[in-house]
Amino acid sequence: MRVSWSNLLVYRVNFILQGIAPLFVFLVVKLSLWYKIFESSPQAQVGGYHFEEMAAYHLWILIASLLIFNGNSQRISEDIRLGRITSYLIYPFQLWEFHAASFLARSWFQLFIALGTLFGAWALLGGRLALPSPAALLAGLGLALLGGLFWFWVNFMVGLVGFWLEETWTLMVMLQIVTYFLSGAIIPLELYPDWMQTLLSFTPFPYIAYWPARLFMGHLDQVGWVFGALAFWVVVMALAAWWTWRAGMRLYTAAGM
Amino acid sequence: MWARLKHYGSVYSSFVSTSFSEAMSFRTHFLLLMFMDIVFYTSHLWSVDIVYDNVELIGPWRREQLLFFASVMLAINQLTMSLVSENYWRFPLAIRTGEFDFTLVKPINSVFLTFFRVVRPGSIANLIYTGPAVVYFGLQVGLEPLDWALLPPLIFAGFLLQNSIEMMISCGMFWMIDGSGVNFIRIELQQLARWPDFVYPRYLRGLLMWVLPILLTGSAPVRFIFDRADRTPLIVMLFAIPLFWALTAYFWQRGLKAYESASS
Repeated sequence: MRVSWSNLLVYRVNFILQGIAPLFVFLVVKLSLWYKIFESSPQAQVGGYHFEEMAAYHLWILIASLLIFNGNSQRISEDIRLGRITSYLIYPFQLWEFHAASFLARSWFQLFIALGTLFGAWALLGGRLALPSPAALLAGLGLALLGGLFWFWVNFMVGLVGFWLEETWTLMVMLQIVTYFLSGAIIPLELYPDWMQTLLSFTPFPYIAYWPARLFMGHLDQVGWVFGALAFWVVVMALAAWWTWRAGMRLYTAAGM
Repeated sequence: MWARLKHYGSVYSSFVSTSFSEAMSFRTHFLLLMFMDIVFYTSHLWSVDIVYDNVELIGPWRREQLLFFASVMLAINQLTMSLVSENYWRFPLAIRTGEFDFTLVKPINSVFLTFFRVVRPGSIANLIYTGPAVVYFGLQVGLEPLDWALLPPLIFAGFLLQNSIEMMISCGMFWMIDGSGVNFIRIELQQLARWPDFVYPRYLRGLLMWVLPILLTGSAPVRFIFDRADRTPLIVMLFAIPLFWALTAYFWQRGLKAYESASS
């Protein structure tokens, strides 16, 4: 974790520009868009949301995204391509443990940024932002962190595809685009067609952006089910990553050794 | 002048040919790049469509108009992705490793060599997606023959403005140890420009129309096509293109003086 902290702090500007700024710009675009939509009829509802609720939803999406989307799969595939993972085969810890520690370090960092953002938004918006109850805050944070764990395994698995492909960043970018679109990070899922909402409920996507935001907003009626469903997907993804690792190791030639 | 252009043309055709050879050596990556762009284009157009399933208008525009705007912006982005994008990512690495020295010793303009060395064939192939998308949504908004004739040069003007701004910003990499983060500023500017100017609040719009006019890349051409009287943004855009190319040249020279040549 100390190594990851050092890496983050060495290239601070890059870390902010790469990991944090995009989420804030994304928020500006979305808030501007929805403000424009509601401008002519401020009391109207779109998909069951008033403007204040829509703005709050996107703010909570930002907070959740800070905690969820913080993986680094490119490093893993690069390590495989250059034969560097050989070292991990003789270290007293495994590759996934090293990356899990790195993920934890980033999560701590992002947690502070998320709390700072929340405090800043509350200070800026005053009474217009309804703060969540302690239970809603805990549930939202808990689910976002579990979502982060899910995203870690997704990242790890995509990185391991480096056993078969020269480059994996295209896969990761694609997955990111699809996840943003299907998880409710761009538009609340209530606005999607019914058939799509039904289809999505059988996938992990709603649990990693839409549901954390809903919990933050105090909709706690399905909290047990939501945690259970995401925990199930975390286990599935961890097993898939483990299987990919085993299959990949059979092909590994330790290039450069 | 003609001989010079011919020389640069022949050099550029070599760049294109080597880029294709390189891409064909990694066919899976080539296909994934193509597919990645298509996924992005589809998700963006679909998002706009879903929003319009729930609202009548966004600002003054109805669904077909905004989808036409979105397809024009995707066409501009696709040109950037195909012709320049990869070079923005290689530039900070060349500075950090000192490989940029080789660019400086070659008998060719260093800006040209830095930003046009690599094309991305996978993105070029996606013309089969963005081209028909522009035509389809153009038909939906009822473009007339003159509009169709104006569309390609206006899209190209948007591409020129976008890249003059992005190249100017990229000059900042000369002053950084690892300038790859600057690329994310470029991407964020593209993200902002992917929505029409009227979406943004007044001060932000003013900043992004008149100071760092990234919103003009798509809004100026499309607004002009929809309404010939709405030509001020287009005029500003036509002035901004040479201005930002000149600024790029200026900051490039300053950057070269600051360059420390890591390998020497």
